[in-house]
Amino acid sequence: MKLLKAVGLIAAISLGSALAQDRTQTLIYGGDWSDLITMDPQVSYEFSGGLVTDNLYETLVKYEGADLSTLKPGLAESWKVDRGRDTWDITFRLRRGSKFSSGNEVTAKDVVYTFERALAIKGPGSFLFTEIAQLKPGATRAVDNYTVVVSIPKTASPGSFLSILTFNIGGIVDSETVQKNAKGNDFGKEWLTNNSAGSGPFRLVRWDRGSQVLLEANPNARIKPKLQRVILREIKEPAVLRTALESGEIDIAEGLTPEALRALSNNPRFRTLKADSLRLNYLGMNVKEGSPFANKLVRDAVRYSINQDELVNGLVQGNGTKIQTLIPKGLLGYDPRTPYTFDPARAKRLLAQAGYPNGLEFELLVSTGICGGGIPCADIAAKIQSDLAKGGFKANVKAIANAEVLRTYRAQNHQMVLVGWSPDFPDPDGNATPWADFNARSLAWRNVWNDPTAIRLANQAALETEPAKRVALYRLLTDYVLKNGPYAVLYQPAVPLGLSVKVEGYVRNAQGQVRFENISKLP
Amino acid sequence: MFFVVFVAWGVTFTTFFIANVVPIDPAIAALGDNAREEQIKEFREHYGLDKPIWQQYLIYMGRLLSGDLGNSLRTGRAVLEDLKEFFPATLELSVAAFLVTLLLGVPAGILAALRQNKASDVTVRILALIGGATPVFFLAVLLQFVLARQLDLLPVQGRLDGFTFPPPRVTGMMGIDALLARDWAAFLDSLRHMVLPAFVLGMFSAAILARMTRATMLEVLSQDYIRTARAKGVPGRAVVFRHALKNASLPVLTLLGGLLGGLLSGAVLTETIFSWPGIGRYVTQSATSLDFPAVMGVTLLVGLVYALINLVVDLLYAFLDPRIRYA
Repeated sequence: MKLLKAVGLIAAISLGSALAQDRTQTLIYGGDWSDLITMDPQVSYEFSGGLVTDNLYETLVKYEGADLSTLKPGLAESWKVDRGRDTWDITFRLRRGSKFSSGNEVTAKDVVYTFERALAIKGPGSFLFTEIAQLKPGATRAVDNYTVVVSIPKTASPGSFLSILTFNIGGIVDSETVQKNAKGNDFGKEWLTNNSAGSGPFRLVRWDRGSQVLLEANPNARIKPKLQRVILREIKEPAVLRTALESGEIDIAEGLTPEALRALSNNPRFRTLKADSLRLNYLGMNVKEGSPFANKLVRDAVRYSINQDELVNGLVQGNGTKIQTLIPKGLLGYDPRTPYTFDPARAKRLLAQAGYPNGLEFELLVSTGICGGGIPCADIAAKIQSDLAKGGFKANVKAIANAEVLRTYRAQNHQMVLVGWSPDFPDPDGNATPWADFNARSLAWRNVWNDPTAIRLANQAALETEPAKRVALYRLLTDYVLKNGPYAVLYQPAVPLGLSVKVEGYVRNAQGQVRFENISKLP
Repeated sequence: MFFVVFVAWGVTFTTFFIANVVPIDPAIAALGDNAREEQIKEFREHYGLDKPIWQQYLIYMGRLLSGDLGNSLRTGRAVLEDLKEFFPATLELSVAAFLVTLLLGVPAGILAALRQNKASDVTVRILALIGGATPVFFLAVLLQFVLARQLDLLPVQGRLDGFTFPPPRVTGMMGIDALLARDWAAFLDSLRHMVLPAFVLGMFSAAILARMTRATMLEVLSQDYIRTARAKGVPGRAVVFRHALKNASLPVLTLLGGLLGGLLSGAVLTETIFSWPGIGRYVTQSATSLDFPAVMGVTLLVGLVYALINLVVDLLYAFLDPRIRYA
């Protein structure tokens, strides 16, 4: 009897492994996905949420590969922007024959439903529609089954709106399926938290919170993926992430430490990648009346005191790019010039000119957490502190919880902060307005920098539709803010990744989007 | 019963108070740097954070009395739903770690007591000393490196291999769910994944248990009735297990109750290192984003489990010691 049981058990196990999916058809992607709270494209506003939903839902227009400056057709095969009397009218022509995972065809009514749904639900990312694009309920119309017209006010930027549409908030949902699963007035919000109803190359099979997300190829999708299954494994500890990659439990590890990255780069079984991000780590200086930083000479002295090369190549270990202007590399209008060189003698002269011949003492606020590129913020602050000391400053570093840094910063109660910023949408305006326009109540406001020239240039550039003119305007703006603004940009962090050499076709754009359909795995 | 209610009230009061004196704004913690002023205002209104603290506390207590633990500020879900999702994983791991504690601690303690001051006793005592003094994270990372990465004997993290399809969720305990689905491959895989975290989590309490068992056994073995038993010719095995162990088990049982409770609440580090989706990891994340309804939910749950364990221990006393009777 015992023998029989044992034989049965062995048979069951071998059958199980035979049934187990072919390993080349499953990709396991490890990283800290702990910010995942929903799979609803119109609600999700977290990095990990975007990573998943971008593969479940298609958008009307999209970016391809790492390029974030050229829009490509998505569900819309073409689109055009017309200047109406008071509005911009954007007409999208949908491709025929795109299908949702339910088998329903994607038509204009789904687009209308999706945009109205985003406005009604008011998710954390809905300001992209309501404030940036100034989209109103009823402004999205289906002309016929395959034509949609969206009208936005003349004061909004059509360029920004189109780039917002590449985000998951613009992910078109299957209106029939969602309505069928809606509860009361919730637009299917509860159901879509744990289910998918999109036309993307994958569909959501299972989400074990805190553990993993399981995606499978969507049988009805227009875009056929090279892999059958993708699993996002949640691993928070960078050390465990590395061990899991080395032992073959995961194929891709996102968010490694610089040390792990260096060790893996010497191992022929793996390759490493420093994926771009659109984040900028910077110093913000409060220029309110009475503050020493109100004097432009003092701000210049700060910028001349920072040894950026040493910071980027030494402490950040190459996990970031040197940059001084406010539009990150990868976006239209990026300006690679770095006119501020490390010159402590000049900084001291400037300080003396500003009336501080004996130096200047102030408080530098910094988070106790990790800053971009996997470096503890406090380490970066220590480096900045020692650089500033050479220029005649005495920075007293105060490290507190990140939320507390932000609270102080938002209340304009800081002297200097070390923080990061990522644009809300991949358009230069996603940085230009917050950084330059005091009235937007964002970064310029927090640093009490109310500068009419910067505000005028930012507004003008946002509404310019001619790309060449727009670039020229952003050149003027970035140069102006660099020399007059309340910031000292430190670096643009990269996202450190390790991949098994068997993984091919992996591309992560600077917005953090990864198209799983292009990835394949060698045996 | 009155005591349990008092403990529960104390837990809510303390947690609430701590959550509100920490100078961090949960709205900013939840919404992040890019959040607009209006969003923050809406968030505060939605969760009632704009009201005075005493009012917030009364509202919370009112809801609690009707069994509503409120909504998590971070996930937006009902805390009760989150607990249902994460507690089974912790329970599974704690029970496994408890088995490790029992199976290592008790035999080692008995062995050491019977061979007092001999080589095996010294070995047990040294091992217990090391086991009790090694920090969990150090032991975990060491074992992960040697057993998982270098020797490839056991998995590094998670509850199931990525290539194993998870069984349908019934209890939330992976091993049990696999058994219910008669998915033997998944069951064995889940056991393989449990070995390292259970060992790491159980090691510390096993060390304490071994020392306690040894000490009480030594004490009991020197008693007159043991000498009498031996003198009238009771076989050695029966003396040890029927006479000595049963009498030594009372203090050990008290300790075990505490240890099991400790395992439940002490899983924070182990869960983080082994990517185990339990309440330990949940509460860490909730605490750092000042999600006090979630923290309070976990604290209450752990408090109730403690109370429950104590009750079971008390009842077991009566079973083991005929002198104790409950009316």
